[in-house]
Amino acid sequence: MGNLSELLMEELNCETAFTIPVFGGIPVAESVVVTWVIMAVLIVAGIFLGRNLKVENPGKRQIAVETVVGGLHDFFYELLGEDGKRYIPYLMTVGTYIMISNMIGLFGLKSPTKDVGVTGALALMSIVLIEYSGVHQKGAKGFLKSFAEPIPIMLPMNILEVFIRPLSLCMRLFGNILGAFVIMELLKIVAPLLVPIPFSLYFDLFDGFIQAYVFVFLTSLFIKETIE
Amino acid sequence: MQLLRIDWNVIFTIINLIVLYLALRHFLIGPVTKVMEQRKAMIDGQFADAKKTQDQAADLKKEYEKKLEKAHEESAEILEKARKSAQAEYDSKVNAADEEAGRIIKDAHKAVELERDKTVQELQSEIAVLAVAAAGKVLGEASTKENNQLLYNEFLAKAGGVNDTGSK
Repeated sequence: MGNLSELLMEELNCETAFTIPVFGGIPVAESVVVTWVIMAVLIVAGIFLGRNLKVENPGKRQIAVETVVGGLHDFFYELLGEDGKRYIPYLMTVGTYIMISNMIGLFGLKSPTKDVGVTGALALMSIVLIEYSGVHQKGAKGFLKSFAEPIPIMLPMNILEVFIRPLSLCMRLFGNILGAFVIMELLKIVAPLLVPIPFSLYFDLFDGFIQAYVFVFLTSLFIKETIE
Repeated sequence: MQLLRIDWNVIFTIINLIVLYLALRHFLIGPVTKVMEQRKAMIDGQFADAKKTQDQAADLKKEYEKKLEKAHEESAEILEKARKSAQAEYDSKVNAADEEAGRIIKDAHKAVELERDKTVQELQSEIAVLAVAAAGKVLGEASTKENNQLLYNEFLAKAGGVNDTGSK
C-alpha cells in the first residue's frame, strides 16, 4: 500500500522539466513544456488548415474547417451578441487549448490543466478579459459605476466577484482534471490492462470536453453580463 | 511534492496563451472567418442581383402587357375608323351618284322640254307659214304683209281656242 501511494504521489507531482540558468535558475514546469507541444501542434495545424481558403468551391478540408470554426463562432456569438464579437477568437483559442490539454492524457502526457499554475493563468486571463470588456464597452467611468449596480449596497459583492469568479474558474478546472487524473492513475496502477479504457473515455474525453466547455461558457457568460 | 505550485510558470502560461491566441487568430480563425464573411456577402449580393433581375423582368412583362393591350385597342380603333370612313365614303359616293342621277334626269327632262318647246315653236311657225300661204291662196295673191299678219293672228286665236298647246 505504501508503494501505491508513493507511485501516486510521484504522478501527482508537478515536475520541473528543466531550469533556465538565469536569476539563480528559473524552473520551467512540465505543464509549460506540454503546453508548448500543444501550441506547436495547434499552430502547425492552424497554418495547414488556414491555407488556400477559397470563397467559391471550397475543398473538403476547408468545409470541415469552416464547419468547426463556424460552429464555434455561432456558439460564442449566441452567448456574447454583437458587442462581444471581438472576444470570440480568444475564447475559441482557449476552449481548444483546454480541451486538448484535458485530453492529452490519452497520449501519455500529463495534462497541463492539472497544474494549478496553468488553470490559474487561464482564470487570470479570463478575469482580465471580463473586466477589460466592461471598460471597453462602458468607458472607465461607466465601468466603475457598474460596480454599484443594480443598487449601491451590492458594491462589496461586486468587488468580491472580481476575485471569486477567476478563483472558481481556476479551481473548478484544476479540481476536475486533477481528480480525473488521480482516478486514472490509480486505475492504471491497480488494473493496467483494458479496465482503464471505459474510464478513460469518461474522464479524459467526456470530462475533458465538459470542463473546456464550462470554462469558456462561463467566461463568455461573464463577459456578456459585464458588457450589457 | 509540488501539488500546487504558483511561480514563474503562471507567467509562462500567460505568455504561451497570448502567443497561441495571436498565432491561431492570424493563421486560422481570421482567414476562415474572413472567407465565410466574404462568401456570405457574395451570396447576399447574388440574391439581391437575382431579386433585381426578377423585378426588372416583372416590370418589363407588365410594360409589354400594357403595350399589347394598347396595340389591341389601337387596332380595334383603326378598324373602327376604317369601317367608318369606308361607310362615309360609300355614303358620299351613293349620295353623289344619286345626285348625279337626279341631275341627269332633270337635265334630260329639261332637254326634252326644250326640245318639245322648240318643236312646238317650229311647228307653230311652220303652221303659220302654211296658214299664211293657205290664206294667201284663199284671199288671192295680192294681199299685203299687214293682212298676212292679221290673218295669221286670227287663225291662231281660233286654232288656239280649240287646240291649245300650252306654248305660252
